[in-house]
Amino acid sequence: MKTPIFSIYICLTIMAGILVASCDKGDNVKPVINLIEPEEGDVLQIGGDVHFEMKLSDDVALGSYKVDIHHNFDNHGHEKSGEETETVPFEFSREWVEDIAGKKNATVHHHEIVIPENATEGAYHLMVYCTDAAGNEAYVTVNVELSHEGEEHEHDE
Amino acid sequence: MRIGHIAVVFCLFCLLRVNAQETDSIRTFHLNGVDISESYGQFVRRRSALEVNVAGHDFLREHFTGNLVQTLEHIPGVHSMDIGSGFSKPVIRGMGFNRISVTENGIKQEGQQWGADHGLETDVFDVECVVVRKGPASLLYGSDAMGGAIEIMRLPPPSENQIFGEALLSGRSVNGAIAESLMLGFKKDAWHVKARYSGQDFGDYRIPADTVVYLTQLLPIYGRRLKNTAGFERDASLYAGYRKGAYRSHYAVSNVYQKSGFFAGAHGIPDASRLQDDGNPRNAELPFSTVNHLKASVQQQYTAGNLSVRLDAGYQNNHREEWSLFHTHYGTQPAPEHDPDKELVFRLQTYSLSARAQWTPSPVWAHTVGWDVQHQRNRIAGYSFLLPEYRRFSAGLLWLSEWHPSGNLSVSGGIRYDEGRMNIAAYADAYLATYLAERGYSDETATAYRWRSYPVRRRFGNLSGSLGVVWNPAGEHRLKANIGRSFRLPGANELASNGVHHGTFRHEQGDPSLPSERGWQLDVSYACEQDGLSVFVSPFVSWFGNYIYLKPSGKWSVLPHAGQVYRYTGAKALFAGGEIAAGVDFLRCFSYNVTAEYVYTRNLDERVALSFSPPASMRHVAGWKGKHAQVEAEWQAIAAQRRTAKNEDPTAGANLFHLRTTVRILPEKINAEVTLSLHNLLNKKYYNHLSFYRKVEIPEPGRNFQILLKIPFKQNIK
Repeated sequence: MKTPIFSIYICLTIMAGILVASCDKGDNVKPVINLIEPEEGDVLQIGGDVHFEMKLSDDVALGSYKVDIHHNFDNHGHEKSGEETETVPFEFSREWVEDIAGKKNATVHHHEIVIPENATEGAYHLMVYCTDAAGNEAYVTVNVELSHEGEEHEHDE
Repeated sequence: MRIGHIAVVFCLFCLLRVNAQETDSIRTFHLNGVDISESYGQFVRRRSALEVNVAGHDFLREHFTGNLVQTLEHIPGVHSMDIGSGFSKPVIRGMGFNRISVTENGIKQEGQQWGADHGLETDVFDVECVVVRKGPASLLYGSDAMGGAIEIMRLPPPSENQIFGEALLSGRSVNGAIAESLMLGFKKDAWHVKARYSGQDFGDYRIPADTVVYLTQLLPIYGRRLKNTAGFERDASLYAGYRKGAYRSHYAVSNVYQKSGFFAGAHGIPDASRLQDDGNPRNAELPFSTVNHLKASVQQQYTAGNLSVRLDAGYQNNHREEWSLFHTHYGTQPAPEHDPDKELVFRLQTYSLSARAQWTPSPVWAHTVGWDVQHQRNRIAGYSFLLPEYRRFSAGLLWLSEWHPSGNLSVSGGIRYDEGRMNIAAYADAYLATYLAERGYSDETATAYRWRSYPVRRRFGNLSGSLGVVWNPAGEHRLKANIGRSFRLPGANELASNGVHHGTFRHEQGDPSLPSERGWQLDVSYACEQDGLSVFVSPFVSWFGNYIYLKPSGKWSVLPHAGQVYRYTGAKALFAGGEIAAGVDFLRCFSYNVTAEYVYTRNLDERVALSFSPPASMRHVAGWKGKHAQVEAEWQAIAAQRRTAKNEDPTAGANLFHLRTTVRILPEKINAEVTLSLHNLLNKKYYNHLSFYRKVEIPEPGRNFQILLKIPFKQNIK
């Protein structure tokens, strides 16, 4: 019965060898998004800009981020509410690179997202995607509401 | 009779008479010297240089789950990639999708294997015997059989003229599944005919959790049932075999229809309102998928002296539809007039032809020459786009030799050349172009994105082969080694897909210039059985010069609701691991078996693991077997999987306990059998790293009680 012990030994040696050889590690750690504004359930003012603020971090280097806003009326069925005249469901998608690329930590604060006057009121999703330099991707989703009655968000600074 | 290397399982192989090798009948005639009591499993295992497991009738019944792949998961090295509770696809040693070949009645099963949410379309009740080959099997099966092959086979006809049949009834508590199957057949002289109908209906499945996390939002699970995961299956098949003298043939037609709902919370953007209990746990509303798989095959075989010739022809039509309430992000796209909610349709037709000629000039040598041809055509429809239309043609020529210089040594090797042609149609999306123009993208960008798929015409040539040796130094020891080179033609999705896959929520983009996937694999195995004691070890290492994976590009997709673009890219990759098993029988009716398996994967370019790497796991099975009953208790330990690809989450481990028992009722008269099993005894909440719903943080089904009743009958006729 020497042979099985020998086989097991060979097997374990091969496995151990592989594990040792594989110590150098690629980056598969996602960046971290800490979205401060807008928050879940916030009301965004139609005709105003969006107070957008977040902290991003990555263990190696950040890449870029993207903000995507789309409506969530009727559970994504795109039926238009007939009576309202000439409003258009708001859709927004834009990416930012320069502000964060290559950094380990970044604070983002801007008012570059503008909601036009003709945007349809209702429930929307706001998604923030962020990648690091290696292509690891994180995202967060918040539910927001677009409204004419929405108050302009007061600034803390 | 005992091959106890895995569970009690393998000692219960179908006992087949050697002169009745339906499955590999081409080499039947030179088995005449083999001891008639040897099981088919032992025979295959002793002859194949690759690691082979045979799941016979008893194994399939004892581990019945209503789902073939989940049953095969009890074989070390095999995993099941589940889509809810009803459907699964196989993974062997960390390779799944198009890297595994599944054959039934000699024909390679062709569906939409590339899709993460597409299961294996076979009737689980119509499976009589399964052979699982681990390791590169391209030599025998051509493209796709890189990681291994699963052969679904028929048992040989009974020796006496008779009418026979069986009724099966099964129920599962976890999803309220009720399944039934009825088979009727006869054997009359040269004819052997069987017809089967099977049906399965299941409800939403239960999970041991009240919430799931999707797109960072916590979603409620009402009543601990995953809404809209219900579905049903209807299958029918007819098989006829004819054997007279040196001539044999069989004819088989089967149709499998499946419908299953998608968990609404994991489809599109999360919304708690869609998860409200609709009061009916057995309905599959939108979104859902249906698939109909029709398959017809013919086999002809003739043996003259030491020459045997076999011809297999097959036709398959795989029709898959995915339905989801009409939605578009391109304002100008109207809902289709007919079937406005039909999102995606794939119709894949496959014609295949294969010929084998075997020549056995002496008991020491056997040579086989083979020729395989396959033609595929995929057509699409639906308001959404993912995969273009294409035609694929492949043809392969192979030569295989076996040398048996003595009873305990056999060397086999072969070489194969395949040519593949891929012709992919272009697809332009005018709505997308308008949408992009409206959003202020340049004409150039809009025009470039307008082409969701470019026309691709490619030709591939691939050489594959293997060389193996099996050595039985003494009756109880067996040593095998095999080195093989295998290949896989890139799929249409890898060459030309371009769009957000609603199953993976990623913008997946093909690369029309990808070369074939190619790899080398070395397998070694050792088995020893002595005095009720068995030990089995099978390590393997494989290396791929071009392993195709979805690489995160770091570039944002312009498509709405998509993150970055994932591009199909080739990388150098390494797989290594193996299976270890040991078993002991004691006090005549008790047994204890332990199996363990591990797969290490590495993308050498990215220096991280590959996605869907199965975690290490171990099973301990204690069994008792009496004359009319048997009981098994199992402890399954699954390690955590922390070695993940980019953008894949690690999965925690789990300890699970299962119980199984089989009782034969009235063994003298009707020989009915009842198999009871209790899966996940402690209702443990755990995740399967390979499951489709894993990324939505949906745990695996909870405690499941299952019953299978089998009533066979037979009546001899003249």
